[in-house]
Amino acid sequence: MTLPSRWASQFAVLAGLLGAALALGWWFGGAGWWVSGALALYVGNTLRHVHALDRVLDGHKRFLLFETRGLWAEIFARVDKLRAKARNRKKKYHRLLREVRESTGALSDGGIILNSNHEILWFNPAATRLLGLDPATDIGHRLDNLLRHPDFVAYLSAPKGDGITVPSPKDESGWLTVQIIPYGKEQRLAIVRDITHETKLERTRRDFVANASHELRSPLTVISGYIDVLAEDPDMPAAWATPVAEMERQAERMTRILRDLIELTRLESAETAAGHDFVDVAAMLKPIATEFQGRGGPAVAIEIETDAALLGKESELHSIFYNLVNNAARFTPATGSVRIVWRADGAGAVFEVIDTGIGIPEEQIPRVTERFYRVDPGRSRAVGGTGLGLAIVKHALQRHDGKLTIRSREGEGSTFSCHFPKERVAFRSAAGQAVL
Amino acid sequence: MEVEDLGHHISRRFNEDLERVRNSVLSMGGLVEEQLDRAIKALSDADSRLGLQVAEDDVKVNRMEVSIDEECSRILATRAPTAGDLRLVIAIIKTITDLERIGDEAEKIGVLAARLASVERPTTNYRELRNLARHVKQMVHGALNAFARLDTKGALEVVKADDTVDEEYESIYRQGITFMMEDPRTITRMMDLTWMARALERIGDHAKNICEYVIFMVHGKDVRHIGIKNIEAEVEQGSRRVESGS
Repeated sequence: MTLPSRWASQFAVLAGLLGAALALGWWFGGAGWWVSGALALYVGNTLRHVHALDRVLDGHKRFLLFETRGLWAEIFARVDKLRAKARNRKKKYHRLLREVRESTGALSDGGIILNSNHEILWFNPAATRLLGLDPATDIGHRLDNLLRHPDFVAYLSAPKGDGITVPSPKDESGWLTVQIIPYGKEQRLAIVRDITHETKLERTRRDFVANASHELRSPLTVISGYIDVLAEDPDMPAAWATPVAEMERQAERMTRILRDLIELTRLESAETAAGHDFVDVAAMLKPIATEFQGRGGPAVAIEIETDAALLGKESELHSIFYNLVNNAARFTPATGSVRIVWRADGAGAVFEVIDTGIGIPEEQIPRVTERFYRVDPGRSRAVGGTGLGLAIVKHALQRHDGKLTIRSREGEGSTFSCHFPKERVAFRSAAGQAVL
Repeated sequence: MEVEDLGHHISRRFNEDLERVRNSVLSMGGLVEEQLDRAIKALSDADSRLGLQVAEDDVKVNRMEVSIDEECSRILATRAPTAGDLRLVIAIIKTITDLERIGDEAEKIGVLAARLASVERPTTNYRELRNLARHVKQMVHGALNAFARLDTKGALEVVKADDTVDEEYESIYRQGITFMMEDPRTITRMMDLTWMARALERIGDHAKNICEYVIFMVHGKDVRHIGIKNIEAEVEQGSRRVESGS
């Protein structure tokens, strides 16, 4: 191990000092005194430097230091360098922090940082604008004390899904979505977005569809009426029989589409969840099965494994069951089969329609509940669907707190399952009384 | 050392208890706000189903009041709070009573809105009433915000706003009488409308009460029935004391 030169010179100074003291002691006598004096000189000088270092570290100017070389000069030079570096780093972080502040300030979405206790640690100016939070007073308050909508409070304690929509606390007709994103150690980021405009657009679209469907229905009724009369007219030339029959079919299809559209808009715009009427599922499924059995399509079997009933709206539940069975029957060849299953499971009850039909390609499964989405456009129209059945099923099911899952394999068949939660399931006791 | 730890533990639990009950008051407030909001929406959208739903959901508010009340009794019995803590518990007990009453008035509005939904509506769609409702909603919102932030200045603003609400109620009432004298066929509808305005005006009073409890909780001064000027003076004095730190 080699000694750094600064230490070597320091030891040389000490050795020189001691040597001189010994020489003087030998010359004049009293060597002990001379050595003590030399050591005192050395300690004094060291203390002076330590004092200076202390002051420098306190942030004072350097003073009374004359060396340009040696141990102390180098120590001070290194302290200076470290301090300059720290200063630069501090400046850099300041700049970075300012940039982050400015960019989050410019965001149009509100951002709020919360700790695990829902207490506000920080928020940006957009959060002030959207929620009325006050930067002077609200840091440290719980967010659910200031944004008190019951849905939001429930969401904050158990965030799931893509956030929640709540009315704006500041703007009477405004709507906000809030999404909670956990990050880091027990911290959470709440992103607040103003969706007033989107909500209005969505409503305009819905109103338009609803109005258009209603307006189209009356003229269509008149047209269908005359077509019916024409079709039954015995004096009609034979050449007209086919066109009139086609007109009748198309008019009927149009009526169905309009009816489904009206039903769908009604389901979409309903704000409250479906009611809790007692609905006997088995009694509802049997006539549906009978209807499809008599159509000469695929074999339809019905398996009732539970006597559970549902609490919901009868017409909407009927429309869920009917649409799913209808769908399966249309996409299954006459040689195939459709099974209708009603069973209980741990989470509640399940209604399933299992067919051996043409199936759905995997990448299209998430899209089949979209309005007018068709896996194979030519084929679907040929089998006479409205393109709205599954969309109606999805919305009606949502209003019953249920969930639709679809499993399918192309060429082998599909399984559509409606899962109903426990709260919606009821049983009829022996006395004929509904019990929960 | 052990004894100290235990003492610390108990007071931490105590703090958590107080904090929890305060939070549940505010979630009850959130529920009441939503009830009021939906009741008013039922009126402006002529949605009778929503109105009846509001009436039905009032039990949720009542249930919360009972559970918070029990929690407060438990804290009083087991912790024997003093000074600021005691004021907090007292203010909470009073606040939930007023919140529950606001819930009752919202229920009333919901039922009346459901009834009005099926009769003929004036061309203004009850503009005066909706205006009054907006002010009252802001008052309730402001009162709960003041409670959450312990903000006496905000509380004072709400107390002041109550005068405007009273005036608006007065004018709706007079207008109703005029209509009824002009055309007796409108009497049923106008009576319902007056009742609704009355319910809103009462909600304003309850919001004002909550603000007075906030001032009591923060400054320890009872400011009921002393007039707005005196309340203002108390709040001013109280916040000066807080600022000077004594």
